[in-house]
Amino acid sequence: METSYETIIIGGGVVGSSIAYHLSERYKEGLLVIDKKFPMSGTSGSTQAWVWVHSKTPAWYAEFSMYSAELYPYLAKKIGDVEYKRTGGLSPFFREQEREKAKRLAEEYGKIGIQIDVLSREEVLAKEPFFNPRVAGATFSLLDGNVNPFRLIDMYMRTAKKNGVHYSTYNRVTDIRRRNDMFIVVSEKGTYASKRLILAAGPWSRELGKLIGINIPINQVRGQILVTEPLKPFLRYTISGLRQANNGEVLIGYSMEQAGFDRSTTLDVIQETANLAIHYVPALKKAKIVRAFSGIRAMPEDGLPILGKVPGIDNLYVAATHSGVTLSPLIGTLLAELLLDGETSLPIERYSLSRFA
Amino acid sequence: MLDQATIICRCEEISYEEVAEVIRYGARTFDDVKRLTRCGMGPCQAKICMSLVAQVIHAETGRALPEIPLPRMRMPLSPIKLETLATNRTSFSAVKSVLDEVEPEEGMR
Ligand SMILES: Cc1cc2nc3c(=O)[nH]c(=O)nc-3n(C[C@H](O)[C@H](O)[C@H](O)COP(=O)(O)OP(=O)(O)OC[C@H]3O[C@@H](n4cnc5c(N)ncnc54)[C@H](O)[C@@H]3O)c2cc1C
Repeated sequence: METSYETIIIGGGVVGSSIAYHLSERYKEGLLVIDKKFPMSGTSGSTQAWVWVHSKTPAWYAEFSMYSAELYPYLAKKIGDVEYKRTGGLSPFFREQEREKAKRLAEEYGKIGIQIDVLSREEVLAKEPFFNPRVAGATFSLLDGNVNPFRLIDMYMRTAKKNGVHYSTYNRVTDIRRRNDMFIVVSEKGTYASKRLILAAGPWSRELGKLIGINIPINQVRGQILVTEPLKPFLRYTISGLRQANNGEVLIGYSMEQAGFDRSTTLDVIQETANLAIHYVPALKKAKIVRAFSGIRAMPEDGLPILGKVPGIDNLYVAATHSGVTLSPLIGTLLAELLLDGETSLPIERYSLSRFA
Repeated sequence: MLDQATIICRCEEISYEEVAEVIRYGARTFDDVKRLTRCGMGPCQAKICMSLVAQVIHAETGRALPEIPLPRMRMPLSPIKLETLATNRTSFSAVKSVLDEVEPEEGMR
């Protein structure tokens, strides 16, 4: 005998847990989240966690990200303090030639209502006095910020559980079958039946998709991060490359490598990351590094989110994306709408899996 | 003996009670406890609390000590200055800047 649920979500990271929480706001029973380890053990526990809007391209994707950033302050009211801070985001450039590119970006974004300022050297230094005085300028947007990803997932999970959602952790899904109109989810700890199934397995999406015969074209891209000892607050903005967390630690890194699921940290990238930090903020040279970590990004083949109904299989949904922290409140909101109302308040057709067909 | 108020992680000041709470909530390994409480994320990088957390997991779940996975140890093993790691190069291969990735002319309407 298997236990039956209305909806099963596979994957309890920032994407799966957001969907679980948002669904549980509107219906209280019959929801199960399954995770092969514990939520936060995947990508969502090893991220910079910027809520980043400006400099996303194309512009309609930046607009999508903007709506998600706009949901963050309300989210904190509903699930509790997740240490979301709208600091403003600064993306520096060091060669004057790049100013043209930055201006074009600002112009395009102005048309969709995202204000980006292109700053001079003096303006950058006025905003961020410890920045390298050799900087040429920066793009700046007030919308960007960051969040504590551990608190975010923890609060999603606690609130979802309070609303009746079941979590089954340390329970790997090993097979998915169809029986009549039901999904039969086979896992290490048991077999479950559900009417609806949502695949939210981050970097493991391709493997999970194979269990039910669909292709979810998600690749793995490793990122390595350095963390300093807590320093007195001295960086005000989320800088593309580093940010200072509430407890004073500075998180540094913006690296991308093809390394499959290998989560090692490597000296060459760590050295480059140290170079980047000192290049941006020279005063960091004397700061002590307490640890390095690495995470595996879930990277769709074309870089854009994969969201919504899976074409050809009724009641099967997918949510897999890079920038899942930025997009999490919006993805949860939209998938809850799609499941419960059959339509979404913002169009998501562009993000359909069908574009890869 | 450890009681509820015993500090398990000195760097982040996490008590027995806080560690036990997240284990009751589903955490099963040191790394789960770390992400939920920050226990082990401070300057000592789990050197002091590693075995204490294992004892709490054992006490709360009955799991045998040898079966409790060790935390993932991370470079550097003791704190070092950023400048010690740096090589002074300013060209980057794996590390990019965000603006490097922006191609405003492409795909924008
Ligand atoms: C270094 C780095 C920096 C980043 N910086 C940012 C940033 O600044 N801003 C931003 O928005 N994003 C950032 N990201 C990306 C962001 O972290 C991810 O997009 C997001 O965490 C993805 O969440 P997820 O829930 O889809 O995946 P995950 O957190 O990986 O969750 C997937 C879950 O599925 C479970 N699972 C997989 N297969 C199975 C199975 N067979 N059975 C059961 N469970 C299974 C896993 O255990 C896992 O918990 C960064 C990523 C990295 C690596």
